[in-house]
Amino acid sequence: MGYIELEVLNNSASELALGIDLGTTNSLAAVWRDGRPSVLHAEARSALVPSVIYFPKDGPPLVGREARDQAVVDPRNTIFSIKRFMGRGLKDVGPELASLPYKASETERGLIQLEVRGKKYSPQELSALILMRVKNIAYAALGGQEVTRAVITVPAYFDDTQRQATRDAARLAGIDVLRIVNEPTAASLAYGLDQRGQGNVAVYDLGGGTFDVSILSIEDGVFRVLATAGDTHLGGDDFDQRLAEIARTELRAKVGPQTIEDPGFQQGVRLAAEKCKIELSHQPEAEMHLVVPELRLNWRRRVTREEFDRITADLVNRSIDACRQALSDSRLARQQIDEVVLVGGSSRIPAVRARVEEFFGRKPHTELNPEEVVALGAAVQAHILVGGKRDMLLMDVTPLSLGLETMGGAVSKVIQRNSTIPCHATEGFTTYADNQTGMDFNIVQGERELARDCRSLGTFQLRGIPPLPAGMARIAVRFHIDADGLLTVSAKEESTGASAHIEVKPMHGLTDGEVEAMLKASFDHARDDFESRRIADLRIEIGTMVHATEKHLNAAHAGLDRESYLDLTEAVAKAKNAAETSDPVALQKTRDELERATLPLASLLMNNVAQKALMGKSLNDV
Amino acid sequence: MSRCPQCATELETPVGCVACGRLLALDADVTPFAILGWVPTDEIDARELHKRLLRFSRLTHPDYFAAASPEVRALAESNSARLNEARDILADDARRADWFVRNLGGPDENDERQMPKEFLLEVLEWNEVLEEAQAAGPNAATTAHLDELEQELRAQRAETIDSIRARLTPLPARGASSLRDIRRDLNAVRYLDRALGDIEAQRLSRPAVR
Repeated sequence: MGYIELEVLNNSASELALGIDLGTTNSLAAVWRDGRPSVLHAEARSALVPSVIYFPKDGPPLVGREARDQAVVDPRNTIFSIKRFMGRGLKDVGPELASLPYKASETERGLIQLEVRGKKYSPQELSALILMRVKNIAYAALGGQEVTRAVITVPAYFDDTQRQATRDAARLAGIDVLRIVNEPTAASLAYGLDQRGQGNVAVYDLGGGTFDVSILSIEDGVFRVLATAGDTHLGGDDFDQRLAEIARTELRAKVGPQTIEDPGFQQGVRLAAEKCKIELSHQPEAEMHLVVPELRLNWRRRVTREEFDRITADLVNRSIDACRQALSDSRLARQQIDEVVLVGGSSRIPAVRARVEEFFGRKPHTELNPEEVVALGAAVQAHILVGGKRDMLLMDVTPLSLGLETMGGAVSKVIQRNSTIPCHATEGFTTYADNQTGMDFNIVQGERELARDCRSLGTFQLRGIPPLPAGMARIAVRFHIDADGLLTVSAKEESTGASAHIEVKPMHGLTDGEVEAMLKASFDHARDDFESRRIADLRIEIGTMVHATEKHLNAAHAGLDRESYLDLTEAVAKAKNAAETSDPVALQKTRDELERATLPLASLLMNNVAQKALMGKSLNDV
Repeated sequence: MSRCPQCATELETPVGCVACGRLLALDADVTPFAILGWVPTDEIDARELHKRLLRFSRLTHPDYFAAASPEVRALAESNSARLNEARDILADDARRADWFVRNLGGPDENDERQMPKEFLLEVLEWNEVLEEAQAAGPNAATTAHLDELEQELRAQRAETIDSIRARLTPLPARGASSLRDIRRDLNAVRYLDRALGDIEAQRLSRPAVR
């Protein structure tokens, strides 16, 4: 009985799988535990890992909060919003690049490479660094249990190249991807909307860098995405930019045009704008505040919610236009939408909430943290996939039509958008010259009539067609979009039964060979990386311990016996010196020594806290 | 109906066995109707069709085979694709009619290109309205014109579909001459759908599609 076996396996720890939200601004992981999904975080910190990578002068790259803190200090070596570059070419991201402080180039197949400290990195490699960080946090949060299988989410609007790039990034991070799931679908799973017998759900997801809206139908536990629309270039970053624009305009006279263009200054402005935006979600007015000591600049600018709403109205309108499009594609009327789910940090903006509620005529769900809801849903899906449970099924559609470029640059559609996946289609071709043995094709994705207005997913070459008179060969080319929304192409010559050979060269992507080579290189470096990582971690830990101890030195002086106090100050002094060393063994020893020396202080502080807590209470209360 | 090779239960669908969960390899020539266990007819009960799609998807969706062997996964992928395709054909009036015309030996869209002159004149008229609306940009008058045209086109589409469905009930004999008329109607539907798409694109005052 297969089912019993599955249930047994399901209870074993090795059957855990992560749900990972690989976001433009933040990433995080969640896992199914004790009958529900929960996010994984390192100690008491927020589960959100900023999707930011910092390359220090020596040592391995930092990812997350530590990296984000470097943005103002060293913007040229800090990578933000890498998701925007996934599966894209330079042409696609030109406007963003202009506002970002790094150098970028492109390989001949259109794969973007960002140059940091003289080394080139593909978006796949950079995203892999973020995924590794998320995986490590999960490892720690699960008490040292390694989980390598995961469901990873992508915006519903991601095309094939972008999905493929995400899959490759995961492979580079040593993650076995069980499934790529659309973010809005995951969000509905998190809200348990599958529990409703029947209904339609609109998911409005305004994240840091991407926006999408999906209309889903739920029936007997089955999710179908009826339609998706969106804008891969609309998100919280754009709202920040509007405020930053005000700051730049008003500061130009004060600091001069040269400073305005300085990358460090720009990052400072960006962060001030973001902070102001977040505050405006809770209060009717807030301040942009920028302090640059070197410039003797202490600049404040009051922003009312009304002004903010005015300068961002077109952004909100664009998102509502997409809602209208999705609704129209779904062939539903507004009254037929039963639930509205908000996703993404920017969905906290009051004007956004108001407009969404007004458009769909329903109060949206906001019970879960909109920044965690996608990861939670991914964990639900991961649980279904490893558990083999059949009480729920997620049916998805392909967001964009798939076609081939024909003579004259037109597009012949092979698979229509919003087709339920997995799906397939077969196109027939014939030769136009005698004894022709090869043909070239350009695969495009998009809705426009001309190939040049659509996205090229790549070219493929058909080889090994048997030599026949012109028009006699019958080549059937089969396109299959799998449950992850990824395309595979195969071909056969039908009159002779010869299977023609197909080689697809992905645009903006990595070939299998390239992924293999990168994996091999990272194994070769894994030892070095591990050492460097350990050194960096130990240094940070020692730094934190020293800082915490120094804060309580007065208390230690007053409350500890002389010997313990001297022991403690000596250990702190030693630790400060040792932070310069790069010997992991010596660092570990220093850390252990410091921990030992701080034990008396720790128990003293605990007692103080306990005493305070007990003060003024009768024994009966305790 | 044949029986499951594993548990001998009578099969509801050739993609697999609902009783024991066994996936089955599908021959290339199994029809969309057979996949959904449906007798070929133009009478489609949408609710029943949906019910069967869900029931059979629970049998063959690749999500349930995440940990299976590559061969079984490939079979789940391909059976799901065939199932979805079959549902799409049965659910859509135009696609279903297209399937009948092809499989009853009727002309395909390239064999029957001639459209009546009156129809082509109508197409020219729609295009004029669309071009004027495009030139004028979004305003109240344009919206009214587009609404009016859309209503007209939708009514005409519904009428054409009714005409097709009438010719398909009962199903015509193989090679019947009415198949050529159905093909002509289907070509008209393609013109109508293209114009309706253009209206939708204009109404959202954005390029045709992203």
